[in-house]
Amino acid sequence: MSMFEDIPVEVGVIYEGERIRRKDMQIELGGPDVKEKFELARVKKPEEIEDGKTTIIGPDIKDMEAEKSYPFGLLIEVAGAKLEPELEGVIERRIHAYCNFIEGFMHLNQRYDIWLRLSKKSFQKGLNSFEYIGKVLQRLFKSELPIIEKMQVTFITNPEKVKPLYNEALEIYETRDAKARGLKDEEVDKFYGCVLCQSFAPTHVCVITPQRYSNCGAISWFDGRAAASVDPKGPVFTIEKGEMVDPVKGEFSGVNEAVKKKSLGEITKVWLYTAFGYPHTSCGCFEGVAFFIPEVDGFGILHRGYKDTAVNGLPFSTLADSTAGGRQIDGFHGVSIEYMRSQKFLQADNGWKRVVWMPKEVKERVKSFIPTELVDKIATEEQAKTIDELKAFLKERGHPVVSSWKEEAVAVEETAPLESEEAPLIPVATASTLPITAGGFKIILKDAKIYAKKVIIRSEKSEKTRKGEGSAKK
Amino acid sequence: MARKGVHVKIDELKSDFGLLKNFELSVGRVIEEKWTEPMGPTPFPSVIALRDWDMKLLQRYRPFYLPYCDVCCLCTFGKCDLTQDKRGACGLNMASQQSRIVLLACCIGAATHIAHGRHLVEHLIEKYGRNSPLDIGGLNIDIEAPVTRLVCGIKPEKLRDLEDVLDYCEEQVTRLLSSTHTGQEGSNLDFESKVFHAGMVDQVGMEVADIAQISVLGFPKADPEAPLADLGFGIADVSKPTILVIGHNVPSSVGIVDYLTEKGLAGKVEVVGICCTAHDITRYNSMAKIVGPISWQLRYIRSGLADLIVVDEQCIRADTLIEAQKVKTPVIASSEKNCLGLENRTETPPEKTIADLVENRVPGVLILDSDKVGEVAVETVIKVAPKRGKFKIIPEIEKIIEAAKECTECNECRRACPNDKPIPEAMKAAAKGDLNPLAEILESCVGCARCDSACPNDFPLHSFIVKAGEEKLWKEKFKMRVGRGAIQDVEIRNVGQPIVLGEIPGVIAIVGCSNYPQGGEEVAEIAEEFAKRRFIVVTSGCAAMSMAMVKDEEGKTLYEKYTGAFDAGGIVNVGSCVSNAHIAGAAIKIANIFAKRKLRANYEEIADYIHNRVGAVGLAWGAYSQKAAAIASGFWRLGVPVVVGPHGSKYRRMLLGRQDKPEDWYVLDARTGDKVYVGPAPEHLFTAAETKEEAIVLLAKLCMRPNDTSKGRAIKLTHYVDLHRRLFGSLPSDIHLFVRNNTDIPITMRDEVVKVLEEKGWQEQMIPDPTLLPRLVREKKG
Repeated sequence: MSMFEDIPVEVGVIYEGERIRRKDMQIELGGPDVKEKFELARVKKPEEIEDGKTTIIGPDIKDMEAEKSYPFGLLIEVAGAKLEPELEGVIERRIHAYCNFIEGFMHLNQRYDIWLRLSKKSFQKGLNSFEYIGKVLQRLFKSELPIIEKMQVTFITNPEKVKPLYNEALEIYETRDAKARGLKDEEVDKFYGCVLCQSFAPTHVCVITPQRYSNCGAISWFDGRAAASVDPKGPVFTIEKGEMVDPVKGEFSGVNEAVKKKSLGEITKVWLYTAFGYPHTSCGCFEGVAFFIPEVDGFGILHRGYKDTAVNGLPFSTLADSTAGGRQIDGFHGVSIEYMRSQKFLQADNGWKRVVWMPKEVKERVKSFIPTELVDKIATEEQAKTIDELKAFLKERGHPVVSSWKEEAVAVEETAPLESEEAPLIPVATASTLPITAGGFKIILKDAKIYAKKVIIRSEKSEKTRKGEGSAKK
Repeated sequence: MARKGVHVKIDELKSDFGLLKNFELSVGRVIEEKWTEPMGPTPFPSVIALRDWDMKLLQRYRPFYLPYCDVCCLCTFGKCDLTQDKRGACGLNMASQQSRIVLLACCIGAATHIAHGRHLVEHLIEKYGRNSPLDIGGLNIDIEAPVTRLVCGIKPEKLRDLEDVLDYCEEQVTRLLSSTHTGQEGSNLDFESKVFHAGMVDQVGMEVADIAQISVLGFPKADPEAPLADLGFGIADVSKPTILVIGHNVPSSVGIVDYLTEKGLAGKVEVVGICCTAHDITRYNSMAKIVGPISWQLRYIRSGLADLIVVDEQCIRADTLIEAQKVKTPVIASSEKNCLGLENRTETPPEKTIADLVENRVPGVLILDSDKVGEVAVETVIKVAPKRGKFKIIPEIEKIIEAAKECTECNECRRACPNDKPIPEAMKAAAKGDLNPLAEILESCVGCARCDSACPNDFPLHSFIVKAGEEKLWKEKFKMRVGRGAIQDVEIRNVGQPIVLGEIPGVIAIVGCSNYPQGGEEVAEIAEEFAKRRFIVVTSGCAAMSMAMVKDEEGKTLYEKYTGAFDAGGIVNVGSCVSNAHIAGAAIKIANIFAKRKLRANYEEIADYIHNRVGAVGLAWGAYSQKAAAIASGFWRLGVPVVVGPHGSKYRRMLLGRQDKPEDWYVLDARTGDKVYVGPAPEHLFTAAETKEEAIVLLAKLCMRPNDTSKGRAIKLTHYVDLHRRLFGSLPSDIHLFVRNNTDIPITMRDEVVKVLEEKGWQEQMIPDPTLLPRLVREKKG
């Protein structure tokens, strides 16, 4: 109440999911009918900012004709000792949530794609000026991100003024993206860790690097950086990268230490860029899973939304179950979609050259990040539904994994000679519970007394060498 | 999975694993194990196997007894007065007696679901074979029977596997029931532990019943987009012969629908249902329609709309036959549990039975064969309908006014009314020709007709009320998403991240019967409040129907407005009473899927996980039956809090946490073994709310858990504070107990919350990896 007492409508997270339909809208800002729209956050020098100021360039809400769409720009300028330009994207993305907290004010999408609506109801309640929205944003940003020391907000509704700024914004996004995508793990000395998932999976630790998003796809290195500086005691923390032990597998001494500490010794070593050996652990909410298909010596990828079974006949639920819960499981690897866009993606396992199958939907999403020469060599459900079909496809297209296929050596198993001896009938086994393992089955006999003239039991491990034959004599 | 009586004889066998000569083996049963997970600590737990866990919960959530009856009259020593500190002739005191009655009720409830499951499994095995596979969700469900796996430690794969599970359940109920005998259990806490056991066994029984019918009868298999069914008093085309089915156990209704389909009569006869049989028959076939929840029985029968009534089991009015006779409607009873004094015609040739019913030589018959029920019901209704001409006993308005003039306002009817409705005043207005007050009563009438029995003038008051409200009743035409069954494993994964991040603040399960204090609309309001706030709302049974019975200004019901997916803002109808097991199943799967906690016979650990981490709360706003009591107790043992409506105090005791006792709110930090104060989260295990508003605020508050991430806690607190402020006009007085550190404070309420924290001398607390089980403390390695 006190925080937004002077705002004519309520402000709270409960309005986040609110949708405003066309017939209920007072005005629309941006959206599909308008070309020029943007939102932008910029980190400035303290002297460039007049703290608390809201500027409106163009008509204010009350001066805008009802039920119409308008070009729109929203500029947030901040300053603070600990603020750095890398955090602009993180700050900018909060605009979405904070706008949505305002009752009757809807915000969709981001950046140059924004789409806002104000409801008639809230307009009638008195939300008739951008001043109010400016105030809400100021207060929320500053209370949530104390690293913002000064902040000013500018709303631009004059079409003539929006246009040049829009073009400028596009350039800024582009530069920022290029920088972000170009940022390499080698170039930073800090990674970030996240233990949010420990509330449900207590041994899982996510390691977030510039080239490895969190498993859930929700936290980038930049987000991690922002979160760790805003709340140093929180679930997202800084990992000093330390010494690079193995640049290919992605082993770092600092990562090992941090993970060991945060998993309380459950996990002692992590290789970031491989699904084998010491792969990154998986929580419960990863976006997709990379799974090794031994028959073709390659990886399949399956995302959470895929309804059918993967090419190896297993559905997402089963594959995911093989790796979830903060464990390191060879060949099963929880991943985010964004990580597939990284150059470090399964680097130690040959990266995309080892990927042989993925659903069409994911392939489309990451297509531009797959090396061009491989795009047509990776099968989707349209080309292969079984391992046999996949093999044929890979062979036909000349996928790199094919070269690793060799003639499969058929192991010749020697059979132990049958023994035949006469002996008096004695009980060879009498136990309340007696497990027998054979041929992949476990048979448990309860309260059984077995009488046999002779029982020969060979140790399983010695099957090929015959060394341990007939070892269970009583 | 299990086979009985195996005998193997081998003269000589040379195989990979050994050589056998003259080998003979006789085994009582052979268990093929395909489930590789090692057996957990408590397979098929005995009555006391989980007693330690129960006591942990009961120490924190102490039973608070609300004696509904001061005496005990269960044995011939009695009646014994148990008030104050008195003990009965057997030595039992009030607390133990109350908990003993709760146990009795829960045993009745559990026995009912288990017997229901037993009948279904036997019936389906007879019809479809022992080896019919269990499939409740195809590829998207790996864990087909989470409750059974958790409790029993087995992975059922075929119908026959369920028989073993039921053997266990039946045995447990017998044991539990035996401890209610005079001179057995003497401790109220042990009675309470047994109540939990009854609830757990009940949950297994429900799961067995539902997965059997889903698998074999082709119900929607965990389908978020299960079809919409028609629901409402006015939904049937009453120009057609109409069969009304009432109860919970669907085979006889399936018999009817199958017969209609087979004979090409599908469009010629209406099949409508009340209560859970209606749920399950719409899950089976789209030709069936739903009249409404249990309280719609009398109003529908007396309105004469049904030309034939088929009853199966549970929650059916005991006077169905008498009421049906008044409107000349024949009745077919189809369950051994509810024979209604009718002649058993199971072996009689159908033609004879049909003729007897049509000629009204018998008021009804008992037929214990679902196919035969189908044939007799359909053939009879076609012949009976024209003869009946929808004969009704709902009086005309003039009759009501006439009677109302003779009303002496003795107030007996109001005294008899469970909702204390002002019937005398309404009669007074009716005497003057104004029927609106009577019509208003129908809105919150639970259809018990105790007013009828109470009236010294023998006025059929319930019929008067129905007539007065008739206009609105006839307009009742709604859509309800039919029961989808289980929650997919994949859906559980999808909500993983938003649950961790708090974007989904909790799971609200709105279940139970329809004896609401103020009518069913409240259930719809509560459901929408939470769906709008992007909680996951799950529902079942009569509550699922009630929340369909409200439309917005565009004429849409909740089911048309909100998704049926187990996701933020979803309204998820799992199905009938027995489908409640899927709600427990979803909570269990969260533990198994997110944290990879072992599922197999590992009840205590999973319950500990759910209790400390999964923000799920149940609401039984109209709970009335013993089954509802059993269902609630199953959730308690899993550590899930349950809120009931005002009538819920008649369950005789609550399980209340004490905010004022900080020592009750410690958990172990599984990382270090340290004892950590976590505040009263969740505050109660079982409590009643007097009003809808109180219920809403409580539900929001009870979603908090010790493991909440700060963002999650901040969002949960936002909802709690916002609802409290909106519905009670003030900040809750206990916010400080739920804020652990600064980042827990809701973003948009920082200033005011900080003020409260300062006033209360709040201190920062750590967020542990919470558990109540010392054995789960992980020692710091290396």
